[in-house]
Amino acid sequence: MSPLTRSGDLAANVVGFSRLLRRRGIPAGPRESADALRALAAVDLLDRRETFLTLRAVLVDSREHFDRFAQAFDEFWGAPEEDATFGSNEPAQRGDAGPNGEDTEGPLRQRAIVEEPTVDQPEASEGGPEGTDDLPAYSPADVLTRKDFSALSAQDLEDMAALVAQIARRVATRMSRRMRAARRAHAMDMRRTVRHSLRRGGEIMELLRRRRRIQKSQVVLLCDVSGSMDLYSRFLVQFVYALQHAVSRIETFVFSTSLTRVTDALSEVELRRALDQVARTVPNWSGGTKIGASLRQFLDGYGRALLRERTVVIIISDGWDTGEVEVLAAAMRELNRRSARVVWLNPLLGGAGYEPLCQGMRVALPHVDVFAPAHNLESLRRLERHLALAR
Amino acid sequence: MHPEITRIQSMLGGEGYVADREIATAVYLSMSLRKPLLIEGAAGVGKTEVAKVMASALNTELIRLQCYEGLDATTALYEWNYQKQLLHIRLTEASERTVEQREHEIFGEPFLLKRPLLEAITRERAPVLLLDEIDQVDLEFEAFLLEVLSDFQVSIPEIGTIRATAIPHVVLTSNRTRELGDALRRRCLYLWIDYPTFEKELQIVTAKVPGVSAELAAQVAGFMQLVRQAKLEKTPGIAEAIDWGAALMALHRDHLDRATVEETLGVLFKSQEDARTVRTQWLELWLRGLERLRAEPRPWTQATLERVAADGALRR
Repeated sequence: MSPLTRSGDLAANVVGFSRLLRRRGIPAGPRESADALRALAAVDLLDRRETFLTLRAVLVDSREHFDRFAQAFDEFWGAPEEDATFGSNEPAQRGDAGPNGEDTEGPLRQRAIVEEPTVDQPEASEGGPEGTDDLPAYSPADVLTRKDFSALSAQDLEDMAALVAQIARRVATRMSRRMRAARRAHAMDMRRTVRHSLRRGGEIMELLRRRRRIQKSQVVLLCDVSGSMDLYSRFLVQFVYALQHAVSRIETFVFSTSLTRVTDALSEVELRRALDQVARTVPNWSGGTKIGASLRQFLDGYGRALLRERTVVIIISDGWDTGEVEVLAAAMRELNRRSARVVWLNPLLGGAGYEPLCQGMRVALPHVDVFAPAHNLESLRRLERHLALAR
Repeated sequence: MHPEITRIQSMLGGEGYVADREIATAVYLSMSLRKPLLIEGAAGVGKTEVAKVMASALNTELIRLQCYEGLDATTALYEWNYQKQLLHIRLTEASERTVEQREHEIFGEPFLLKRPLLEAITRERAPVLLLDEIDQVDLEFEAFLLEVLSDFQVSIPEIGTIRATAIPHVVLTSNRTRELGDALRRRCLYLWIDYPTFEKELQIVTAKVPGVSAELAAQVAGFMQLVRQAKLEKTPGIAEAIDWGAALMALHRDHLDRATVEETLGVLFKSQEDARTVRTQWLELWLRGLERLRAEPRPWTQATLERVAADGALRR
């Protein structure tokens, strides 16, 4: 079992694990447990190998105990899944030499058009720049990442919320670090330096530097909250909210038959309440959404203020539009023209063999830059690269 | 993998240090938990290097305390600058100040000589503090060290307590000539660095020996794996492999053969005893192993090497 799902209480599990270690003759006391907990908060719990190395570094203090530790680890947290259909690119033995070739650099290089769905299909050699191919073959927490949101039990939902927040935080850290790194790369500005020196009789007292202006992208979220879409939208909103400090501004709208701005519901609690409220006011018939009309409402009401060359628009919807097709097509065309990128997330895309057959989706698709699934955590995690805009 | 760990891995890589996941994870944890990192492993596997590259990757200073038997607190912590004190006393002889005042003066900070430990905790920017070969010090000093590492403060009777301005990143290395006390061990995160795998050593040799051909690097790395099968007084580590590669380059060799190996054995085996054992007992086996290895399809891997070694070629 994984730290996240055993009983949901990581602290209790770490204490339990330490107790097991002590029974096996490895002196891991309360202080080590506390450190372990701190350490786990700083690493990727979804990665079995990383969790293993982290706990070992903290809880074991001598080479002689390595074997015993490995045994206890498997026993307590569950043996690694032998089923190597995905992500088992991390051999669990010594010999994973050197940097594993994960490319850490480089935000978005090329535009993905239609992203491969990730469920039910082996992760062969997915060429994502980062983040996705280090998914572990590990534990129910991993299963949870790949589980369709709609298939979650109530307990899963809570775990999932925690995971969403955790992953989003990590993605945000990475995104903002990239910005920092870029910010350091400023060059000498000789012209200004010399001009500046004139005032001091030609003596160069100060080196002036040119700073490359970093522009964060602005994100507009348009979430379908009708019926079955509600759950997916919630996770997406939660995810993107946790990215707040990595993007300059996030505007969030929910729609079903009409559009509501929920940006000002800043706290998570407020956000949930706002979503509940919107969901309640929405007539909940199956697929009863007026996407075209809602988008039009957005364009007319907020387009001028929010759409510019650095705006990424994310629409999450299954594309079931009960309104007129022409309205949707026109709205999509305009949206595409006035923004940097339109990302359409469709949870159905996660299902094997899904074809965008419904009419709404078909007319919208030509105006979409990225068409990707959003049915599980992993697909959310991939969102990162669609949020970063090349300079 | 956590992005920070990947970053540290590539940071270390950028400094020419081939870090596998275990190393990168431990370094990351030590930095983020601000806990000292105790690194154990045989000589020459690159323990000290971790601290060095950590410092340059963090773009901070490396303060090194080389430990040895008999190292004591004054050498490690601080000392008064006696010459300067004496000079000051001379110069102020004619002044009106009382002896107490003058005494007070000469036991002030300007007369303090900071030794590595004090140096490390008084830096504006957290340095990397390397306590190298910590297993060499005696128990007494170990206890003293434990105190410093717990509180990161030092009391100097004449001045008072000096608290760390920035907690340094502490790295301790040990060759295990003596078991360290439990208290110190438990204060630290633990990292064991093993002899490298074939792949890792190949990467290192390629990176560290300028101009080395892929073929020679692979042969050197492969040969090292065979060499480490032998029971010797001092098994050659990564440092020796790099030196060997450099020596071969200097001799303009592009592959290994009997003459070349015999000629350069001194780079790998530094004790008389080992050199003799190697000549009389091992060299033939290794050369035979090398032959077998050459017949293996490329690229070679750790598995290839293990196969060759298990083949009987190395069983005497």
